Amino acid sequence: MKIRAERDDLADVLARAARAVTTRSPLPILQGVLCVVEGGTLTVTGTDLEVTIRTTLEVEVLEEGRTVIPARLASEAVRKLPAGAVSIHAREGEVEITGNGPRFRLRELNIDDFPQISEPDTVGGSSVDGPAFLKALSQVGIAASTDEARPILTGVLFEAESDHLRLVATDSYRLADRILPGVITDASGLVPYRALKELSRAIGDPKLTVRFGDRDAVFSSDRGTLQVRLIEGTFPNVSQLFPDSYPYQLKASRAELLEAVGRASLVAEDHIPVRFGLHTGGVELSVTRQEVGDETEHINADYNGDEMTIAFNTKYLSDGLNAIDEDDVVLETADPLKPGLLRGAESEDFRYLLMPVRL
Amino acid sequence: MRLVVADCTVEYAGRLSAHLPLATRLVMVKADGCVAIHADGGAYKPLNWMNAPNHLTEHEGSWVVTNAKGETLTIVFETIHFETAHDLGEDPGLQKDGVEAELQKLLAERTEEIEDGLELIRREYPTPIGPVDLLCRDREGTTVAIEIKRRGEIDGVEQLTRYLEFLNRDARLAPVRGLFVAQEIKPQAKVLASDREIGWVEVDYELLKGIESPALRLF
Repeated sequence: MKIRAERDDLADVLARAARAVTTRSPLPILQGVLCVVEGGTLTVTGTDLEVTIRTTLEVEVLEEGRTVIPARLASEAVRKLPAGAVSIHAREGEVEITGNGPRFRLRELNIDDFPQISEPDTVGGSSVDGPAFLKALSQVGIAASTDEARPILTGVLFEAESDHLRLVATDSYRLADRILPGVITDASGLVPYRALKELSRAIGDPKLTVRFGDRDAVFSSDRGTLQVRLIEGTFPNVSQLFPDSYPYQLKASRAELLEAVGRASLVAEDHIPVRFGLHTGGVELSVTRQEVGDETEHINADYNGDEMTIAFNTKYLSDGLNAIDEDDVVLETADPLKPGLLRGAESEDFRYLLMPVRL
Repeated sequence: MRLVVADCTVEYAGRLSAHLPLATRLVMVKADGCVAIHADGGAYKPLNWMNAPNHLTEHEGSWVVTNAKGETLTIVFETIHFETAHDLGEDPGLQKDGVEAELQKLLAERTEEIEDGLELIRREYPTPIGPVDLLCRDREGTTVAIEIKRRGEIDGVEQLTRYLEFLNRDARLAPVRGLFVAQEIKPQAKVLASDREIGWVEVDYELLKGIESPALRLF
């Protein structure tokens, strides 16, 4: 296998495919990326067996073939070569990477050990607006759990409905729910968020295609594909968690609230909640940590409801506020022990359900 | 329990011979007859010892301990600095760490927290090498041996492996599969368990105990 391409393009396809490569894999071969040169195109594949990223690049082909090269080392080597044309030549167990003088000779990994990644069994496929889709994923992803002990909660649930796609994630303390109106797809399944986090950098593009099979989801663009194994199991029935109506409503400036929670969190750290004293005219924020001190402040806002004190985890609250894309936010509450609902004042496409902390 | 702190020499004669030169040591004679000679270091292992049953003969300035195999331990006292005897009474035995014992109790009552459909056969099911924490039957009728630890480490997997080996020799129980349960299981222990086809489950002790956390959950 021998190719030539521009350094930056080559470094880019290698680095993006390498995003699926994990240093924690017990299989040494998974530290490598598979490079296949056929018909004028280089295809680079990286995988950890759950997430597989394929990237492609039109290259000058001097000799077709295939090789497996160490992912991180090869992509860093290419990136650090002088600007200009770079060539990769694999032969007799070695891969030579050269460009404008410097030459790396790296040992090839055994291509026979590289796993056969089957093309997923997919149906349909829908085109979505890339940036809007990735934004929606990042909005719900904040609520996905990172605790592998409960794999179901580490995923984002895709639910295809008649005139929209719904995305949901929850770690059981909070829940993020996003509707993508007009996105008609038959995509339904539970996708690990750790894979979705890679989408933007790996294959992000103005147009993305989403396809779901029985066992895999495949996201593709002109920049490559990301294939991920779906999480098996039943996602909690979350629709029942949203109360039918909320009696009390606070409408406030998102920026003011976010800044105030940020100040409170200096004192609170993670485990101490910020208290919201809700009253006509606004909200009194306060936080007290016995061994440190306290912080209080008042935010002018519209509040309709009985006076009430409710407390939230500062991180979860600021995650939700950060995810909302509007100037004003609405916090709906019913009871200091029932979930509060945070959303933008104008749109209900994104809803963030947040459990309070017992005082 | 009789304790003697003394300058002494010790001779052992039996399968081999061993000599402890003159030095200050602690000689312990336990109620069951075991004799142990300790230096002032090391957690548990004596310099020399003789298990019960044996026979201790006290001479002027020396003791001779003999067992049925004809082995002898001769202690010659130069100076006795301290001597005492105290009846310790019956020992209640080694108690498991409180959390571990509590975990076993809670999980025995709620085996579904370990795996759906598990039914308890018995707690502390005896095997020739010690009792396995829980013996259960799964939904398919297969016997399941469960070892419970507070922290799941490699030695816990090894222990369960040994139990499984014995349990699988019992035709009434075999095949017996293993489940390793802990609050937190080390990655190496997970790998070893999986490699031996032993399942593992991490459980939330506080949740099992129903301890109310101030952080409320949606479900």
